[in-house]
Amino acid sequence: MRYFLRRIAFFVITLWAAVTLNFIIPRLQPGDPAESIVAQLTGQGAAVDPDQIRAVRLMLGLKDESILAQYWEYLGQLVHGNFGVSYTYFPYSVTHMIAEALPWTLVLVGVTQILGFLIGTTLGAFAAWRRNSRFDSVVTLGSQFIGALPFFWIALLLLYFLAFVTQWFPDAGGYSTSIEPAWSWAFVGDAIYHGILPALAILITAPASWIIGMRNNMVQSLGEDYTRLARAKGLRVRRIALMYGARVAILPNITGLALALGAILGGTVLVETIFDYPGLGRLMIEAVTSRDYPLMQALFLFITTGVLLANLLADFLLGVLDPRVRKEATVR
Amino acid sequence: MPNVLVDEGLDKAIGRCRVARRWRILAVTIAAAVGLTTACSAGSAEDEGLTKDGLIPFINLGGYAPGTSPQRNFNPFSANKAVVGYTFETLYQVDQNGCTEHPWLATNYKWDGTQKLTFTLRDGVKWSDGKPFTADDVVFTYEMIKKNAALDLRGIGPVLESITGEGNQVTMQFSSPAVLLFSKIAMLEIVPKHVWEKEKDPVTFTNPDAVGTGPYTVKTFNNRQMVLERDPDYWQADKVKVKELRFTKTQQGQTDQLRLERGEYDANAMFVPDIDKVFVAKDPQHNKYWFAPGGVISLYLNLTKAPFDDLAFRKALTSGINRQEIADKAQLGYVETASQTGLILPNQKDWLDPGIDDEGKIGYDADKTKQALSDAGYEEQDGKLLGKDGKPLQFELKIPAGWSDWIQAGQIVKGDLEDLGIQVDVASPQETVYNADRESGRFDMLFGVYGGDCNIHKDYADPLASGQSAPIGGKAISNFTRWQDGKTDDLLNQLASGGDEKSQQEAVHGLQQVMMEQVPNIPLWYGAKWFQYRTARATGWPNEKDPYAASSDALLVITKLRPAGS
Repeated sequence: MRYFLRRIAFFVITLWAAVTLNFIIPRLQPGDPAESIVAQLTGQGAAVDPDQIRAVRLMLGLKDESILAQYWEYLGQLVHGNFGVSYTYFPYSVTHMIAEALPWTLVLVGVTQILGFLIGTTLGAFAAWRRNSRFDSVVTLGSQFIGALPFFWIALLLLYFLAFVTQWFPDAGGYSTSIEPAWSWAFVGDAIYHGILPALAILITAPASWIIGMRNNMVQSLGEDYTRLARAKGLRVRRIALMYGARVAILPNITGLALALGAILGGTVLVETIFDYPGLGRLMIEAVTSRDYPLMQALFLFITTGVLLANLLADFLLGVLDPRVRKEATVR
Repeated sequence: MPNVLVDEGLDKAIGRCRVARRWRILAVTIAAAVGLTTACSAGSAEDEGLTKDGLIPFINLGGYAPGTSPQRNFNPFSANKAVVGYTFETLYQVDQNGCTEHPWLATNYKWDGTQKLTFTLRDGVKWSDGKPFTADDVVFTYEMIKKNAALDLRGIGPVLESITGEGNQVTMQFSSPAVLLFSKIAMLEIVPKHVWEKEKDPVTFTNPDAVGTGPYTVKTFNNRQMVLERDPDYWQADKVKVKELRFTKTQQGQTDQLRLERGEYDANAMFVPDIDKVFVAKDPQHNKYWFAPGGVISLYLNLTKAPFDDLAFRKALTSGINRQEIADKAQLGYVETASQTGLILPNQKDWLDPGIDDEGKIGYDADKTKQALSDAGYEEQDGKLLGKDGKPLQFELKIPAGWSDWIQAGQIVKGDLEDLGIQVDVASPQETVYNADRESGRFDMLFGVYGGDCNIHKDYADPLASGQSAPIGGKAISNFTRWQDGKTDDLLNQLASGGDEKSQQEAVHGLQQVMMEQVPNIPLWYGAKWFQYRTARATGWPNEKDPYAASSDALLVITKLRPAGS
């Protein structure tokens, strides 16, 4: 029990630090967002109208308050789940923009990461069990090769051959230009069709690291004394592989998976940019480049919270799966 | 990264000729990739010809809302709105190139003195939901703007005292002479009272249905495309010859340019390097461009610092910068060099003081400048020009990071000044830092933009009025050089007071003399309004020979477009 409480306390403190940093960092940036918006509208070669800047400043509700007052207001808003309005998309709120992008990322990256983990871990376990077989060398070398390739390059190749040359798949967007987003079969089908290429890009690369991690861990656990004892006792091969080899070997991978899932909230910036996919990653890049501070702040907070929560979850899971972790905590 | 987006654009074009065999698509692809014209750029049969009622089926005009995920925002008073210029109309249209006035929702207007303006409204205009347009709508709109300063992008509220409507007459009373503000006042988008009065907060209202009086209504809108549809009941529907206006999301990087090259846009506004080769040569018969002058880009000197507070020094500098080289090299020959009068020529030539030589265009003459500097008491030592304090002159020229053509222009200025013995560093801070430094006067030199408004008073007041300035450290509104001059303020007041044409001309001539003789800033070149268009489907776009409107004057342009070949 003490182990779990300590983990929770640690989580709360880190979260507070993240929230506070998230408040401070954008405010260290000089400049007036109203000016940036008007300048963007006007273009570089034309005069900026001071009347417009005045109106936009009022529109965004920019106030001159003390930093402490702003901090309290910020904390209060966070508690109510209010992240303010986006500068780029005013009057649409940050929550609206994130809610619009979140499902795309969640489905695309969530599904592919979990699939990638399952495929990678299974293949890795097999490779370790059949160590030095032809299967092992193909899988291990193959995943090392793919793992060494830059991700964007793979995505580009896919885009070029499958969307561009053969035209089997659309090349951009989460759905067709002519369709209205709605909960209809036509739209869902269209969205799935648009999601195949980005999903494929992730699925080619995602399993590689799981394969290597799993194989190495399992090779080690298969060499341990307890596995040899199990063999000597004449346990069934399946049981040795799964309960003795794989169960121990999978522990580090679970932490890895939790972290990967936490990072989903940040979207996969590269995939979403390359395929112009309407998810969180693309939104984040945009928020950063157009200095949309409220949006940036909320997205970063999302990511940190996601990673922290995933970490906490991984800690809990490890506590459950691995008695040694709990023991260690109580002994201390 | 750009390559990705390039591919995407190419595929879009190829998507239009799917009938072609695969090998041919590949060939086309490669051809497109190396920059040749695509074999299918003419489009399919459906793209050609007209609809049954003699209309152009559609034209594509490019981007339609800010951001990578365009949102439905048809609030015409919002800075982040989608394209609403075809949906909402104004009392008058004043073209933003030559400043001609066109009666629109009002058929005429009358000034009573300089502070009372009466519009006569057009009869028979209907909102797109079928309700009649009345004086109530006009009064409601102006009152709403006055009440909500956050909606007042034009700055009408502070001068508008009251507005009343009776029958088809709307009368506005202003708190100060407002004759010169006409373009600003008359160009406010009128919205329907019966829709907007139900909204609690018009500032955050996204106006999803976009009920307006304009020639187009919204047909579809999603994150990737917006389609506007011609309203057959529009009050001058006979002048509108395009059935659908399509807008596609602006892409990052080079994609938009590639789409333009392939003829996917009937009109667009973007910077294209080497446009004659890249765009026009692809289809010389149809691909055209017009880069009208948009604003005066000027060298701003911090007038509170030595030696910029010395008139003789400033005046000497005017001939020390090679403007032609900037226009030709940094601006690729797309722009004209600027006149020291501060006017945009030829657009504002009616205001030009005929007593000024060469329209105020000052040529490059390094020897003359050197002589003038030494006459003014600036001595040269070991190739370095010394200030009056005996120290070598050394300045920083600030230009926002990433504004590459400006940075290039800055390098030319640097080279020219170094020929005179003045050391210049071109610094490129982030744009937000740059803005803050400019406002508070933390700079030696920078490039500033002003002018281009139909209100000649604003053109001069923004950079020169002492009311637009602030002490160093304070926030200046638009007079960043901190020009403080009683005579200038008097002339601006004379201009603003709305006297007869002669008094206005006098004041503007006086201001030009100030620019020429006192050199509060040094105009270098005219910023261009980017505009590319194709005449394959529609003709009648504004251009250099027929500059009836600025490319951005949506209503004036759309009512002039005609099917190609007609």
